[in-house]
Amino acid sequence: MTSAAPAPRIDRFGRIRVAPERRNRAVPVFLVCAALAAVASLVYLDLPWAKLASRAPDLGDVFWKLGHLDFARWELILSATRETVCVAVLSTFYGMLLGLFFGMLAAENVLRVPFLAPIVKACFTFLRAVPTPVWVLLMMVCVGMGPAAGIAGLCVHTTAFFTRAFAQSFEDIPGETLEALEATGVGRVGVFLNAVLPSALARVVAWVGMRLEINVAECAILGMVGAGGVGFVIANGIQNYEYGTAGVAILLVFALAYATERLFVCLKRRLR
Amino acid sequence: MPPDRALPEAVRAERRAYALFFGALLLVVALCTWGVAFNPFELFGKGDAFWTFLSEDFWPPRIPQREGRLEAILAGIGVTFAMAVASATVAAVLAFLVALFASERVSPFPRLAPLVRGAATFVRNIPALVWAFILFSSLGIGTGVGFVALTLSSLAFLVRAFAETMEDLSQDGLESLLAIGATFPQRVAHGILPSCLGGFVSWYLYSLEVNIRASAVVGMVGGGGIGLVLFSYIKAFNYHVAFFIILLIAALVIAVDWMTGRLRKELAL
Amino acid sequence: MQPILSFRNVSKRYANGAHALEDITLDIRPGEFVSVIGPSGSGKSTLLRLVNRLIPATSGHVILDGRDMARLRGADLRAQRRKVGMVFQNYNLVHRLSVFQNALHGRLGHLGGLRGLLGLYAEADKRRAFDLLVSLGLGAFCYARAGELSGGQKQRVGIARAIMQDPKILLCDEPIASLDPASAKTIMETLRDETRRRNLACVVNLHQLDVARAYSTRIVGLRQGRLVFDGAPDALDAAALARIYGPGHVPAAAPEEAAHAS
Repeated sequence: MTSAAPAPRIDRFGRIRVAPERRNRAVPVFLVCAALAAVASLVYLDLPWAKLASRAPDLGDVFWKLGHLDFARWELILSATRETVCVAVLSTFYGMLLGLFFGMLAAENVLRVPFLAPIVKACFTFLRAVPTPVWVLLMMVCVGMGPAAGIAGLCVHTTAFFTRAFAQSFEDIPGETLEALEATGVGRVGVFLNAVLPSALARVVAWVGMRLEINVAECAILGMVGAGGVGFVIANGIQNYEYGTAGVAILLVFALAYATERLFVCLKRRLR
Repeated sequence: MPPDRALPEAVRAERRAYALFFGALLLVVALCTWGVAFNPFELFGKGDAFWTFLSEDFWPPRIPQREGRLEAILAGIGVTFAMAVASATVAAVLAFLVALFASERVSPFPRLAPLVRGAATFVRNIPALVWAFILFSSLGIGTGVGFVALTLSSLAFLVRAFAETMEDLSQDGLESLLAIGATFPQRVAHGILPSCLGGFVSWYLYSLEVNIRASAVVGMVGGGGIGLVLFSYIKAFNYHVAFFIILLIAALVIAVDWMTGRLRKELAL
Repeated sequence: MQPILSFRNVSKRYANGAHALEDITLDIRPGEFVSVIGPSGSGKSTLLRLVNRLIPATSGHVILDGRDMARLRGADLRAQRRKVGMVFQNYNLVHRLSVFQNALHGRLGHLGGLRGLLGLYAEADKRRAFDLLVSLGLGAFCYARAGELSGGQKQRVGIARAIMQDPKILLCDEPIASLDPASAKTIMETLRDETRRRNLACVVNLHQLDVARAYSTRIVGLRQGRLVFDGAPDALDAAALARIYGPGHVPAAAPEEAAHAS
């Protein structure tokens, strides 16, 4: 406490200042920049607002038609949905196996071969940056139509996702744990199997759950670029004006995505 | 490793949970393999064809020579980027307003909160591409509809993210502002915004990353932008140029990821 | 003297059927320093929140400064809430804002429209808030973020915010439960002094019996939502304590707090 009576600070408008001393100006500056960028983008896109607005009533019409659920072709819808679920699960599973392997290669602290981790990481950064439907399209060209193309295509992106996620989880394990085991003469792969993997298991499960959610959604849309599954039923239904069938399929996709989400919310709670 | 019986109950329960999880996973995988008659070894058998396809049809990437083609591709990249930025930003602003009514503790109409959340959950769990298709069938194809579809799905995602941020962060501060006799707009401006802005910005950046990918995909089915250009080259079996475009898309995505990563650090989120 | 706050046969039942409070009748006058004691779950916290209707009563009347809280809506309710300063166990400050801004929040209810939205407080209010913070020993921290302060300092900011409202009554919900004994003493003394100086009424929920005895002019005991004791601190004998906490469950006095209080 100083002897002089403390006085409040005055800002440049001659008013008493109330804001904190160390203000983070970066956030407001960023917000202004983001707003400007968005306006610039909208100007560049030059969207046909009038046309969109004039057609908006049609939207209600489409929803009305979608709402008239038509169960006549439920067998087709069901088998397509089954295919979608299977493709999602299998691509997640094989992606997980590959991801564990490549995650081991990509983690700095497991094998410690010079330059290996950065190279693996760079490769998978590229694979991850290409959207999944592109991979599926390419796979379809390669192995033909059918679930195999879907699984292989989804696997590429899933593996890339898991590799980064798992490598991150492995790298978060403290070095002492690994050193202690290595001192007993266990090899590096042995350390990985006995120490790294068990410690990261909870994280692995969480990542798998998160990715399964994504893959179910991705899978549902793959049909729209030409692969099979429930997405194909939706696209086909809408294009052929069979809105009732498409409506059922959309509801099924929603139910599927919602159920997966709930399932893993429950699982996460139990594993914690 | 100590024998099982020496382990505390909690650890054993955890092990049981893991055993259950992986057991169930294997069972489901077996069922699915049977369900679509998928044979992974068959895929390996096709490895040669795959490699030939990659090395001969794809490699090397080629920049299209004909007049105006390269410009069209670059314009497509620009449209995709602009679509992602515009839709993420518009969605974030709308999501902030909607999220205020999606949390019982914040909303001035707590009874409506479950309704708002339910609507957001519904929209969110239907993929952006399905929304795009529904919108295309009524509004026609084009960039405008792609923009609306992207905005809709990021809006639903951000409503949940923002509402959860608010529930996590500002409970204490909000009760005191209520007790002071502050109005709803005052509670938002002096309680929620100062404590949650960082979280909001972080989620906005995330949805920007997601939208970059999504806008390329939405483009493929008719939303315009680079996706449409890529799709047409693949359909025309012009894989060398398609590969060039894929590289461009990857570069765009990596650049945006790098930028958002930097921004997170700069903004100290 | 006219009571500033009256409970008339107030009951509160939660949606799950649990009775939080039953048939409470109580008058509190300006200048009184009332401690509410009772075991956890006895309804102390609910009692306070009924006053400014953060929780609505199920039946009965809560009359604050001559007006029945149950009937009020919107702007009238906010005007009534302004008369009640509230101090919380977890301080309930907005951590990202400065200490100064948090104290000024007490004036928010008095600002309307755009000024309230943008936080354009009157210069006189700012001056008064600053002087108040200085008198509470927070002069050096005015421009620090509220999140950076220690618990005792945060609680003093909470008190400053409540006083800035120009309240007629102070409600304190376990104000010292999260504090060390030395900070707790400062907070209780601040509350007592401010109550006296401004001729407020002060209602404090407390777990610490000896603190309640040392500072209160009156003690109210709750057990399972019922009022089982109401009297001067001297009247709180072993029999009364057994009625409040149940035989054999009377909390032991912490020695250092007793020493501070004496």
